[in-house]
Amino acid sequence: MRVGTGTRPTRPGLRRRLAAAVLGCGVAAAIVSIPTPSVGASSGSTFTIAMDDSGIDTLNPFLSYFEGGLKTFALIYPTLNILDEDNKPGPYLATSWTTSPDQLTWTYKIQSGLKWSDGQPITAEDAAWTFNLIMTNNIAATANGALVANVASVTAPDATTLVIKTKQPQANMLYISVPHWGIPIVPKHIWESHVAGLKDYKNDTFPVVGYGPYTLVNYTTDQYEKFAVNKDFKLGGKSPTFDNLVVQEFKNSDAAVAALKSNQLAYYDGLNSNQFNALKNDSSLRTFQELGTGWTAVEINAGAKTRTGKPIGTGNPALANDQVREAISYAIDKKKITANVLGGLGVSGEGYLPPGYPQWQWHPSADEAVSYNPAKANSLLDSAGYAKGPDGVRIDPRTHKPLSIRLGIHSDSSRDAQISALLQGWLKDVGIDLKLDTLSMSKLNDNLAKGDWDMLMDSWPTGPDPTYLLSIQTCGTLPKDDGTGGNTDAFVCDPNYDKLFAQQVNTFDATQRAQLVGQMQDILYKANRDLILYYPNGLVAYRKDALTGITSGKADANGFYPSKPYFWFVMDAAPLSQKASSSHRTTYLVAGAVVVVLIAAGAVLLLRRRSTADERE
Amino acid sequence: MPADPVQSMTRGHPTSDAQMAALRRSLGLDKPIWLRFIDFVNDALHGRLGQSWQFQQSVASLIGSRLGPTVLLMGTATLISVTLGLWLGVRSGWRHGSLFDRAASGVSLTLWSMPTFWLGMILLVTFSVGLGPIPSILPANGMSDPSISGALPHTLDVVRHLVLPSMTMVLVVFAQYVTIMRSSIIDELGSPYLLTARAKGLTDADVRRKHAVPNALLPTVTVIFLHIGGIIGGAITVETVYSWPGLGYLTYQALKVPDLPLLQGTFIIFSSSVILMNLVADVLYRILDPRVRAQ
Repeated sequence: MRVGTGTRPTRPGLRRRLAAAVLGCGVAAAIVSIPTPSVGASSGSTFTIAMDDSGIDTLNPFLSYFEGGLKTFALIYPTLNILDEDNKPGPYLATSWTTSPDQLTWTYKIQSGLKWSDGQPITAEDAAWTFNLIMTNNIAATANGALVANVASVTAPDATTLVIKTKQPQANMLYISVPHWGIPIVPKHIWESHVAGLKDYKNDTFPVVGYGPYTLVNYTTDQYEKFAVNKDFKLGGKSPTFDNLVVQEFKNSDAAVAALKSNQLAYYDGLNSNQFNALKNDSSLRTFQELGTGWTAVEINAGAKTRTGKPIGTGNPALANDQVREAISYAIDKKKITANVLGGLGVSGEGYLPPGYPQWQWHPSADEAVSYNPAKANSLLDSAGYAKGPDGVRIDPRTHKPLSIRLGIHSDSSRDAQISALLQGWLKDVGIDLKLDTLSMSKLNDNLAKGDWDMLMDSWPTGPDPTYLLSIQTCGTLPKDDGTGGNTDAFVCDPNYDKLFAQQVNTFDATQRAQLVGQMQDILYKANRDLILYYPNGLVAYRKDALTGITSGKADANGFYPSKPYFWFVMDAAPLSQKASSSHRTTYLVAGAVVVVLIAAGAVLLLRRRSTADERE
Repeated sequence: MPADPVQSMTRGHPTSDAQMAALRRSLGLDKPIWLRFIDFVNDALHGRLGQSWQFQQSVASLIGSRLGPTVLLMGTATLISVTLGLWLGVRSGWRHGSLFDRAASGVSLTLWSMPTFWLGMILLVTFSVGLGPIPSILPANGMSDPSISGALPHTLDVVRHLVLPSMTMVLVVFAQYVTIMRSSIIDELGSPYLLTARAKGLTDADVRRKHAVPNALLPTVTVIFLHIGGIIGGAITVETVYSWPGLGYLTYQALKVPDLPLLQGTFIIFSSSVILMNLVADVLYRILDPRVRAQ
């Protein structure tokens, strides 16, 4: 039942609504007509990039582990050495260096005339103080203590000389203080007053006093970092060209892609395969691939043990059989995984170290190379005594039970899901029943440490010095009997491998060291405990209308570029043009005007309808 | 302890045994679990939420820094969705079965069924990237742009960044207010007091506004305040899609490590806000409904 009296809304009421409508339209107009800040929109040229998705844990370089923090320090603090565009150490603060005949003393010549951003001179004493603090203070050693474990003393006899004495000869000394991967040198005059409260010191007084191509002038947690260029900075004949650098935090890569397409970002290097393929035909963008600096592998538990040799965990004993592991390796089609899972945007796995660092790359010889061969896999399992049962699943000759193996995969990884589906099919073809354990990363790591797994998916990145990645396959990383202290990857413990590891640590000739590292990779390859499936390429897109100088080096036959250190990518990027922003601004204004007109028309229509509602009723 | 947070935090970073042991000591992970629990209860009772493992700063300060953005986003979204939902619900219920009712109910329930993450991405692509004739008019991420300075431009910029995340939240949640208000109004339609009001000569709009709505509003109050209780918790999906620096995303970051002190801190805040808002709803109910006071 609808009853109306015909009473019209009062005029003041109508006026209030009209005023509200106009105000609403005004606010909407103001909001919409602000142009989306684009590349180069602020004073001077601005280079806007996305932060590593790990974010920033702290701006205190003595405590930070997260990539976002480490990349920040690479730009605002100097290091003794730089990694050149081939990822090999070169001069930075240290212009030259010599080693003593016993290879225990390193003498660095420190560049003179450099100044921190507050005008104080940079001297060898700053470097000596930084190293000594890490060596003597447990809190300061939190992030980089492992890098000075072999350092006996660090002194600065004068302002331009730094002397580092090591306990044992150490071949990778030129890597221990490099941007992103090594120890950043901090200004002593700023930091010495914070030593007492180092654990709680956030280093968030802006601008942060440092020295590098950029100075950090603002950081808003979980949002962005803003850097201003250091116009006096020059290294290797190059200077940064953008006036400002903004590093935006994105919590999902699709939003970053949206920002790139709409000119809110100029460069993004966190693309996945689908995004890369979707962007490669975008006329405003240029996409390219960099050779990978990490790998994805299937690890096989061939018998988890502690350092004293005590067996632990619940791994399937069948995997301790070399032939079974070799059969699994033959049953996997790595090329198909690379093609299907990565869409061909990567390199199929071989050696333990990724192709992004060609100086360490190793390939198996023709007679030991394993490629997809299910017939060979079946033959190996037959000869190992694993006969096929009536349902096609092989029977373990010792337990007389079906050969069933667990594969741990990450619950949040679509790639793991794709790979595991392929693996299930291939292993079924050779008579192995593969059961999936879909777990969180933390639970997988927990199982790994306890040896409670048969096979699991794993991925590792590495820096240009492979020492750490190689070290996680040494006996020293096995857990202690009480379960603590382990940092192993696949419970590998091979005395020959450990011997080569010790040798490469003190082999100063780069070629000889690479040969030793190659022999270590050979051991791992034949052990079939880390089946490297692929090295995903770095997938990058940037705006053609905003940037130049991004790629360097020569692409290989597949069109993949060499991996470029973060420092140099920021240094090399140069502004191209700012026309795009003005044209977009016009579009925004037109769009804003259209929206405002539509809102106003809607409001008027609504008010007219309301004013006659009672008559209509 | 579901996993070793020290391993999660240091993965890929050269870290010696000694460093990992020192880190475990500094995080208190070397203590037995029962002792850590007693420490936690003691600290919580004294208002200390502890130290975040991954951010290496106090949980209270982390929560404090994320509280503002979350309240702004969720407060705006709740205000708009309540207003819109109640307005549509009243009109749908008052003319139930009409075209307006069918359209409002259909649209709101369709939006309610959409996954928040998916809807967020669609809006992001439409209004931030631009789709067809729609140009890119809104930012893709964050809460403000570093290149904009000045109080008014910055405020407008924040509002602009707020549009997409709050629109996503509104579109997903306003249906619950529509449905509850609609059914409440329909319940009231046959009430004798409405006939009396009409007999007094009040307009249809006045009958609806002054008599039907206040009575129909009571059950809605409970829903609104329950929702407000969840405001502090933020919306993990929306904050993640739009990189909004709020508590929801902080919780997600804490889960990834896992950063237990931070998780415990956020859970305490979330549960407190829900309990507090329930209490407010109960008190308000007494004020709004004389029958409750009389009991």
